[in-house]
Amino acid sequence: MYWYHWTTILALSICISVLFWHFIRLISLGKPKDYSRKSGSITKGVVYSSTKAMVDHKESAYLHIPTYFAGMVYHIGTFVSLFLYVFFLLNILLQISLPPWLVWILVAGLLVSSICGFSLFIKRLLLKPMRNLSNLDDYLSNFLVSLFQLFTLLNLLYSNNIEAIYYIIASLMLLYMTVGKLKHMVYFFAARYHLGFFYGWRNVWPPHKSK
Amino acid sequence: MKKLTKEQIDKALKVLKMPADSKLITHLNACVHCGLCATSCMYFIALQNDKYTPARKVELVASLYRRYCTLTGKIVPKLVNARELDEQMAEEMIDILFGACTMCGRCVKHCSIGVDIAYIVRVGRQMLAAMDLVPATLQATVDAALTTGNNMAIPTEEFVDTIQWMEEELLDEMNDKNARIPLDEKDKHILYTLNPREPKFFPLSISAMAKVFYAAKESWTLSSKMYDVTNYGLFSGNNEHAAVIAQHLYDEVKRLNANTLVLGECGHGSRATRWEGPNYLGMEYDFDVITVVELINDYIRSGRIKLDKSLIKERVTMHDPCHLSRNGGLESELRFALNNSVSDFVEMTPHGFDNFCCGGGGGQLAMSEYNDRRIKIGEIKAEQIRKTGASIVVTPCHNCIDQLMQINHTYKLNVKIKSIAEIVADALVIEK
Repeated sequence: MYWYHWTTILALSICISVLFWHFIRLISLGKPKDYSRKSGSITKGVVYSSTKAMVDHKESAYLHIPTYFAGMVYHIGTFVSLFLYVFFLLNILLQISLPPWLVWILVAGLLVSSICGFSLFIKRLLLKPMRNLSNLDDYLSNFLVSLFQLFTLLNLLYSNNIEAIYYIIASLMLLYMTVGKLKHMVYFFAARYHLGFFYGWRNVWPPHKSK
Repeated sequence: MKKLTKEQIDKALKVLKMPADSKLITHLNACVHCGLCATSCMYFIALQNDKYTPARKVELVASLYRRYCTLTGKIVPKLVNARELDEQMAEEMIDILFGACTMCGRCVKHCSIGVDIAYIVRVGRQMLAAMDLVPATLQATVDAALTTGNNMAIPTEEFVDTIQWMEEELLDEMNDKNARIPLDEKDKHILYTLNPREPKFFPLSISAMAKVFYAAKESWTLSSKMYDVTNYGLFSGNNEHAAVIAQHLYDEVKRLNANTLVLGECGHGSRATRWEGPNYLGMEYDFDVITVVELINDYIRSGRIKLDKSLIKERVTMHDPCHLSRNGGLESELRFALNNSVSDFVEMTPHGFDNFCCGGGGGQLAMSEYNDRRIKIGEIKAEQIRKTGASIVVTPCHNCIDQLMQINHTYKLNVKIKSIAEIVADALVIEK
């Protein structure tokens, strides 16, 4: 193992520890204590919030199809890249070769997802309302993750040449994840839970017909 | 604006630094600034200015959270847009969080992440309230409720006169001495509440509901002092004031020994009393709290009242009050009442959970300094109504009714605006 392997393992450990701390803080603060008389089901509300509510007549989806599609692909690419990152690390010991057909599928997918990521970055940079909404963190987060996806792709093809750069970029992204908005990786799920709690308690979600 | 004192700033920051549960930090950390919420906000749509994007409303509060409650914000504030709480920030918060949001929650549904934007706006208002920076017009409404028991400061004598006048009308119409509007009677099944706009401007809606109670042979009463269902503490952000107002109704139910508190036709009042009231007071209520729409539906389902849909031949549409449908779970209940009362009911597009606010919520009707904005954003609702071709708009909220009447006049819709009680009373078949 080389220095950049140890560096990235350290970055990964810090990232997991900090995100875990955020998670533990959420758990320890707990769910809201509601004294009103419950009308619906929190469980059903949370299930709906985490499933159908994400697509059901959602203006942020159907009024913004290109952006929404790019965002979805970009996020899938991120998770695939994270999965491959863990695989690459384990593969230092395991030494497994991926079949060529799978490599090419992953390369094609990551090419599309990193293009989506960079497109969202350019959109944020070019459109005035987006610039007005954005801070440095938004640009950095978007750029680092897109770069990570691109270098995951390159590492699949040319690992002998770019492995060190790949792990440095991955380490930077993992470390940055602890300070910037990439933390939404944890808070996204908490937000869906709280929405489900709120609407489930009041019998708003899941939608229902009157008898 | 006067320079903020350290005490004011400390009080405001306490709201952020002492979360009761994980909800606050969740929503403050969840927004990714995708900006896709913009097109779900009526302020953004109507005024075409990106400062009204819901994410930017969240950002006002979140930037303070990052500055004072996160390590990154303290060390490198520019990286994460962590802002100081100063006079400029406070003015911006007042203008945007009070003056450009009805807390309708439409953006919440459409947020790609699921950030409860309306909740964060309420937290921002809480911070401003902690600094005594609630707009004077809105605060005056709260103060009236605190000192007189109703937000319009209607003297008890005037209220009692109005009720007696309405009772005489009812007696004449029903030609029955049992057709009454009871006041301050103890041990009744129901304590019924009103939006003070009813005795002040729309007394016929009181007699309409009295007619429904009469038909259902209900055991009910009004209070002559604590009848106000509204609670503008929900909008001012001052939880202590909200608690005092909630206590008014709680104590009145106890004093009159009623079994059920029935919330009159007021969206935010229903929310503030049913869903938020117990939390303001920190206790569960030991009596039932239901809205008048649910009560009417119970009467319909149990056969206690009979309605003839054919009596109303005009086309009718429904405006969903945000705090009854989207934030109160009554979307289908509202339709049940209306479908049983009228023969030609047509929905607006969009409606129900997805409905646009009328523009009068969030305390906007009380804050006259934002009247121009309020009327402008009401254009969206005006167009929705126009497209239905309806001649009657029904809504179970007197704040919405007030706003709808103003946009009816401004945008020349030429429609009648009615409450649920009024439309049900029109369709009522009285059996003697």
